[in-house]
Amino acid sequence: MSATIEAQGLGIRFLFDRERRVITPILGKLRRRGSEAWGLHELNVEIRGGEGIALIGRSGSGKTTLLRAIAGVLVPDVGSVTVHGRVGSLLSVDAGVMSVLTGRENALLRAVLVGLPRAEARAALEEIRERTGLGAYFDRPVSSYSLGMRARLGFVVAERADPEILLLDEVHEALDHDFRRIVAECAHTILQSGGIVVAAGHDHEMLKRFCARALWLDRGSVRADGPFDEVRSAYLEAA
Amino acid sequence: MFATGLMLEPFALLGIYLVFVAVVLNRPGTATGLSLACAVVPFQLVITTVTNALPSITTRRSIILNMTFNRVLIPIATTLTEVAVFGASFLLIALMMAIYGVGPTSSIAWLPIALAVNVILALGLAFPAALFGLWFRELRVFAISFIRTLFFLAPSLVPHSVTSGVAYNLLKLNPLTGLFDTYRDVFLYGRTPPAWALLYPAGFGLLLLAVTLPVYRREQHQFAKVVE
Repeated sequence: MSATIEAQGLGIRFLFDRERRVITPILGKLRRRGSEAWGLHELNVEIRGGEGIALIGRSGSGKTTLLRAIAGVLVPDVGSVTVHGRVGSLLSVDAGVMSVLTGRENALLRAVLVGLPRAEARAALEEIRERTGLGAYFDRPVSSYSLGMRARLGFVVAERADPEILLLDEVHEALDHDFRRIVAECAHTILQSGGIVVAAGHDHEMLKRFCARALWLDRGSVRADGPFDEVRSAYLEAA
Repeated sequence: MFATGLMLEPFALLGIYLVFVAVVLNRPGTATGLSLACAVVPFQLVITTVTNALPSITTRRSIILNMTFNRVLIPIATTLTEVAVFGASFLLIALMMAIYGVGPTSSIAWLPIALAVNVILALGLAFPAALFGLWFRELRVFAISFIRTLFFLAPSLVPHSVTSGVAYNLLKLNPLTGLFDTYRDVFLYGRTPPAWALLYPAGFGLLLLAVTLPVYRREQHQFAKVVE
């Protein structure tokens, strides 16, 4: 496994209309554009296989935006982000699951979307159900799930795709202690096999379990990059 | 329950329009119920596709924010989902044929082509509808009203053949007209649909696809910013 992530001069721009709603460039031509803001600005970072890296910083500093850019969910407006390796991600509070579908249906949908053949995805459903520990809830609509249950489901499906790069946003903080241990074990397995784990959040103790390096983001740019304890101390002092 | 409601909707619409045409307008024609069904059924695919395509991007917010996949699949999936439900509404045509004693003829061979045209038109509308629903969320209801207006600006309640002159030709500009005429030719009149009735709605759908698909493909990279 030779997973790598490289961002060069990465910029993600958000356009707003006059009522401060986010708009697309084409819509900006149809409506009067109000203002713009850079979620990430001239960001440079290189992550090599075997590295666990924590993204720390205040809310709105660009942690989620960077994770989404790495996942390919957001496309750079300037610069580039190059990712080598299969990506598994858990990037939002709803953990990428749709409320109207059951856990089983969501698992099948996500498994197919991450690239598993339909037959393989179907065959994996019972294993996914066991791993999530959701029991009978697996066949109930996700709208009846707690945030932690959604995160469990989302994580297990992401894990099932055998990712070489694992991206975790603050959602893993919604997990209970038993499942946090499972997440940490999965992260260590990926790291030991030469993969990458990028995790963002405010629970620094959790991040430290699988991140030796930290990136402190501030207003969309890198403020500090280095060993986890050093960067965290600098961040906490500044905060 | 929801799917059952969708399947029953054409039956309810047909009942309302039948009362309107036969009682209020007092224009009972040849097999009025079957003629109406030949408009209601193909329109059902168009209107349900547009209605569901309008919020299709925002309702998939959770997966759009979490993973990368070809977002072009969203309007396609919306259309195909409606095609599956649409199949059941053909019971309405079969029922009307039985009630009016109209048997199938060799023109039924044109049905697969009529269906293909119907799907192309619905798919062609699904892409602009998805973008419109994302760009102008507050105007979604007007988009549905616009499509419903097209239904009444086509020979939906009365056959195209009862119009003449300028009105006859103007009605042809509406892509739904060719579709309704085709269904009536296949199920009611038992004759080969004229070429324009198939080509115009199909061409209209393909033109919409040709224009809006490149825009959609460009915009898909921005969806995660806008649905947040």
